[in-house]
Amino acid sequence: MRVHVDQRKCVGSGQCARTVPAVFDQRDEDGIVVLRAPQPDAALEPAVRQAARHCPSQAIRIEEP
Amino acid sequence: MQPPLPETPRFPFRRECPFDPPSLYARARAAGPLFAVTLWNGRRAWLVTRHEEIRAVLTDDRRFSGAMAHPDFPTVTEARVTVDRNERAFVGMDNPAHDHYRRMFTREFSVRRMLALEPRIAAIAESVIDELAAHGPPADLAGTLAVKFPSLVMSELVGSPYEDHRFIIDCAVGRHGLTQTPAEAHDKARALAGYFRRLIDAREANPGDDLVSRIIESHVKPGTLSRDDFAEIGAMILRAGHDTTTNMIGMGTLLVLRDERLRRRLEGNPASVDAAVEELLRFVTPVQFSPRRVALEDVEIGGVTVRKGEGLFLLLASANRDERVFDDPDRLDFGRDASDHLTFGYGIHQCLGQTLARYELQAIYPALLRRLQGLRLAVPLEEIRFKDDMQIYGVHNLPVAW
Repeated sequence: MRVHVDQRKCVGSGQCARTVPAVFDQRDEDGIVVLRAPQPDAALEPAVRQAARHCPSQAIRIEEP
Repeated sequence: MQPPLPETPRFPFRRECPFDPPSLYARARAAGPLFAVTLWNGRRAWLVTRHEEIRAVLTDDRRFSGAMAHPDFPTVTEARVTVDRNERAFVGMDNPAHDHYRRMFTREFSVRRMLALEPRIAAIAESVIDELAAHGPPADLAGTLAVKFPSLVMSELVGSPYEDHRFIIDCAVGRHGLTQTPAEAHDKARALAGYFRRLIDAREANPGDDLVSRIIESHVKPGTLSRDDFAEIGAMILRAGHDTTTNMIGMGTLLVLRDERLRRRLEGNPASVDAAVEELLRFVTPVQFSPRRVALEDVEIGGVTVRKGEGLFLLLASANRDERVFDDPDRLDFGRDASDHLTFGYGIHQCLGQTLARYELQAIYPALLRRLQGLRLAVPLEEIRFKDDMQIYGVHNLPVAW
């Protein structure tokens, strides 16, 4: 799995950072998404998919092999 | 056999059961994703009833506007027209203006900031329960703790003096009831913005460790945010932070007190509390008549054409009972994964304070049950007054004993 985030679309809801903090973080200055792990561990993949589904501005894209 | 769906009935509808949305939502949802209704002013509007289509509309900013000042923006009351036309916070803006302003405030509600606040939230929860315990049974939970707890948390976060909370709530409630005159609603909206404007002056003269002082430093002083614009946004934050959480505490507690198995789940480990809170958020859905949009062009949804200029109500309570997403949706079930609920909305306007709300609810429900052993309703259910007269649903009273 490969994860992409679009910081221009992000509205800083923080739901990804709450769901999978190992993969997503928020920038200190404005709460916008920061990708910590573009290729997350397999064990985290279901949670990453959930984070992408719940992202209100659809700023998370997942590339599945 | 169900009777046929009424043709463009007057919206909003009455609830038949205080714990469920009006039954017409489910019937309309079965028939299609859109349902035409008539508003107070005789205009036609559309209810969007299904989870998938609600998400689609709320993420289609090109064809649907959330600009509350739009002359065709739909409302449930005449008073709300006046309030909407005068809404100057980003909740009523489309992009790019929305993101411009929202981004100044997102870090104040970031997960990290809320995690740091969690010990204080827990301490405030204990303190309001101490007070209730000292008062002794019976007590009206809706008028006391359910109001006081979010007020104290907001006071600490924002920097507004706690003794002002009755005024803040009075403004919030006066602005989004269903029975106010336009003049009353407008006055309440203006009064709260005026209050926040004075709060900005006070914090500018005397800064503290709070949202107002931080935004003054980061955005007002550098000149990126005017004091008047900040006052409008501040009024929105105060409103949103009080009333919604208060109503979740009241309704959530009532639901849990009715079922011993639910109560035990809330006394369990943090993961089971987290799941229970998500399910309560799904089941209650206090925000009844928002979000709303107006079509910027003709749009076809599920075989129906919404005309340019027509309004849409995205019924979150209906999305949260959508059989396509939730099995047996009218059952309150703490064992389910309810995380697909849309209680905080969806799209760019999704609730800024949702992490705060979650942490407040995760703290208060278990603490209530742990500290007030044997907590129970002190009156028959018939004596509970439900907020059928409000845009944010909940209970007006909740007499409890323990």
